[in-house]
Amino acid sequence: MGGVGTIRNNTDIAIRPARRERRAVMRFSRWGAMSCALGACLCIALLPLTVSAQPAPDLGTDEQREAGRLLYMDKCAQCHGETGKGDGVAAPFMRPMPRDFTAGIYKVRTTPSGQLPTDDDLVRVIRDGMPYTGMPAWPQLNDDEIRNLVYYIKTFNDDFSGPYGVPDVVEIPDPPSFSEASAERGRVVYEENQCFDCHGMAGRGDGPSAVTLQEQWGNHIRPADLTKRWTFIGGNTREDIYRTFTTGLDGSPMPSYSITPIEDSWALVDYVYSLSQDEPDYATSATAQYANDPVDPVQGRAAFGEERGAYFPVVGQVIESGRSFMPGVDGIEMKARYNADEIAILLSWHDMSAETMGSNAPDMEVPPTEQVVRDTVTSIWSDAVAIQFPQELAPGGLPYFLFGDARQPVDLWFADLASGEGRSYVGRGSGNLLAGETSPSVRATYEDGAWTAVFTMPRDERFAEDTFVPIAFSVWDGFNDERGNRRGVTGWYYMYLEPSERPSPVMPMLRAAGLTLLVLLSIVGLVRFRHRTSVPA
Amino acid sequence: MNIIILLVVCAGLVALRFVPKINILGWLAGWWIAVFVFLRWGIDPPLPTSIQGMFVAILTLALLAYLSANSAHFRFVLDRFVAFTTQKKYTIPLLAVIAVLPCLVALRVYFDVTEGPAPPLSSRTIHPPPPTSIEVAGNTIDLVNDDNPYRALETEDPAAFEEHVENGRRVYYENCVYCHGDDMAGDGLFAHGFDPIPANFQDATTIAMLQEGYIFWRIAKGGPGLPSESTPWLSAMPAWEDFLSEEDMWDVTLFLYDFTGHRPRAREDHGGGGDH
Repeated sequence: MGGVGTIRNNTDIAIRPARRERRAVMRFSRWGAMSCALGACLCIALLPLTVSAQPAPDLGTDEQREAGRLLYMDKCAQCHGETGKGDGVAAPFMRPMPRDFTAGIYKVRTTPSGQLPTDDDLVRVIRDGMPYTGMPAWPQLNDDEIRNLVYYIKTFNDDFSGPYGVPDVVEIPDPPSFSEASAERGRVVYEENQCFDCHGMAGRGDGPSAVTLQEQWGNHIRPADLTKRWTFIGGNTREDIYRTFTTGLDGSPMPSYSITPIEDSWALVDYVYSLSQDEPDYATSATAQYANDPVDPVQGRAAFGEERGAYFPVVGQVIESGRSFMPGVDGIEMKARYNADEIAILLSWHDMSAETMGSNAPDMEVPPTEQVVRDTVTSIWSDAVAIQFPQELAPGGLPYFLFGDARQPVDLWFADLASGEGRSYVGRGSGNLLAGETSPSVRATYEDGAWTAVFTMPRDERFAEDTFVPIAFSVWDGFNDERGNRRGVTGWYYMYLEPSERPSPVMPMLRAAGLTLLVLLSIVGLVRFRHRTSVPA
Repeated sequence: MNIIILLVVCAGLVALRFVPKINILGWLAGWWIAVFVFLRWGIDPPLPTSIQGMFVAILTLALLAYLSANSAHFRFVLDRFVAFTTQKKYTIPLLAVIAVLPCLVALRVYFDVTEGPAPPLSSRTIHPPPPTSIEVAGNTIDLVNDDNPYRALETEDPAAFEEHVENGRRVYYENCVYCHGDDMAGDGLFAHGFDPIPANFQDATTIAMLQEGYIFWRIAKGGPGLPSESTPWLSAMPAWEDFLSEEDMWDVTLFLYDFTGHRPRAREDHGGGGDH
């Protein structure tokens, strides 16, 4: 019975004593016969778990816990709070929120859903962190220090010292090697288990439920973008992916799945694994290629060639008033083409949902005292994007990267994705944006969690062949209340305009080789000549 | 610095010592290869290729200078070279060298031409010279003579000092952590989006070698307040005077030192006498 998945989870495990008994078992199956299948599935589900009588939990010594406490107060309390409730001074500025240790609910575990993590699970998260969240890796702490921290963290919740203090461990079988066929089968498993409901059809974290997901504490939480493996909080190896969906991320809406047969589990792993590369491979420059014919924006991506564009990191604008601590976008891809008259730039980025209601502009005021609001569905602010160039290419330096400065203004090409209208601004700082003369023509589409916007502008003297033009980007996610200065930004990068005619390498190669040959022959000739004349025959 | 590569290179050089009857040419080649391998693979993050090329050129010149400093060595190498170019038994290797070398040069030119140019690099000064005084919220702060006004509390009133440090902790984790990181190693959540990367306060070359007035200046005026010389700075450091009170900025300065365990650089005693 391929393709049958059970969800063993639940986010409502707060009722501790009856936890095991109450573990809800739901079955997502399109064939009925719930009742009998349920029992069978539960058995299958529990098979890989080794349930055995364990010794008393290891809680460390008083000294170890005290050492852990001191370290915790120094390094952890700022976010996780002095009482472990996840309410430190930095907590309001984070998404996802720092863990509330008093609840005893942990995301990254090798244990079944609803159970506590093992000590090694906690060690691992402290050591490796959770990428692209507020939880950093702590490689500078040694094993003993981390172990002491774990002992201390366990004191925040009594369950660690109770009868369930030693959790079961889900064994992860040795993975078969990756295969394309398995990844293809995985796509079917992905659909059968309705992973797309949150993670989207293309895995970009844009499923229909994505906007409504809440974690245990009532905050909105974004489903993982499965096409960015480097952001997986539970790790990005195939074993990690297997473990993440097998044990679930407790406290979040990510349930635990038991997918049988085991080949289908690995197929799902392979499918997710096949959706992205290991690393983001952030670029520092993008190449604009010469094309004789003008780009047809209606073709979208197809007009720019198949290969992956330059991918730049987007981070929160945390520098000026209207600070954005949890930007909705974390990277933007760029491609470009130009001809004699025009330059066309394609931008593409992942966005959980398209906000095409309302409006947006780079000069909208964000009250400095505004509460930091996490994702909310609004129809006030639309998604938007902007490209920034220095108005003049001065050898002396670059304009300030946040919309320029008085000395060196920037040109801003802006697109409000609600109206789809392109506008241009001249920026002398974020408080000084004036309408520009020529507006870019923009064509934007949203599909499967990705915006694609094609900007076309007349090509001015800045965009000369064989030139590196500084370029920077801003992205607004309307869902995240972003407008004006509250936005995702990049620093300055470069766009290189590849010459329309690439000089053939043959002549320079022949010249260099010929010259070398000449030099070698002269040396050998000279030495031989001198040798012959100096040595009597 | 890649320790493994360094060890391998050193081991290689030691091993060379035990090669029987190794001549000066072997030594020169050994050293050249050892230093090249270290420059190319042993340094992390890798040096730009232009810098590597420069070092390799210097290395080659240095080895040639070493060779010519000893006339016996020099004579030996010269004789070998003459023998290689003139003697009949070397004709085939000689022809091979004459054929292969131009091909290698051509290959190199091919890569240079097809690779395309690299984006311009921006240089930067590590610690720009501070002004002698700055204006913050109407107050003039003398960066040469004024100290952190709360530093004296460290000995005079430790409890009050601790309060200032705690306030600095709050300020840091509400404002600075995104770039400078939870452990102040310059590796915060947004650090990868900025170039130059945020300062690493754990490193001995940042706050440990600066005075608190300097830190205060960098915090208050940020990237926009950097001197106009040696631009472009491209610093993403905000001008914190727009967000924080003067006291908050002094407090966070205290906290930077408290958390990292560094001490501010001692002020030169202008009046002469002992430095206590």
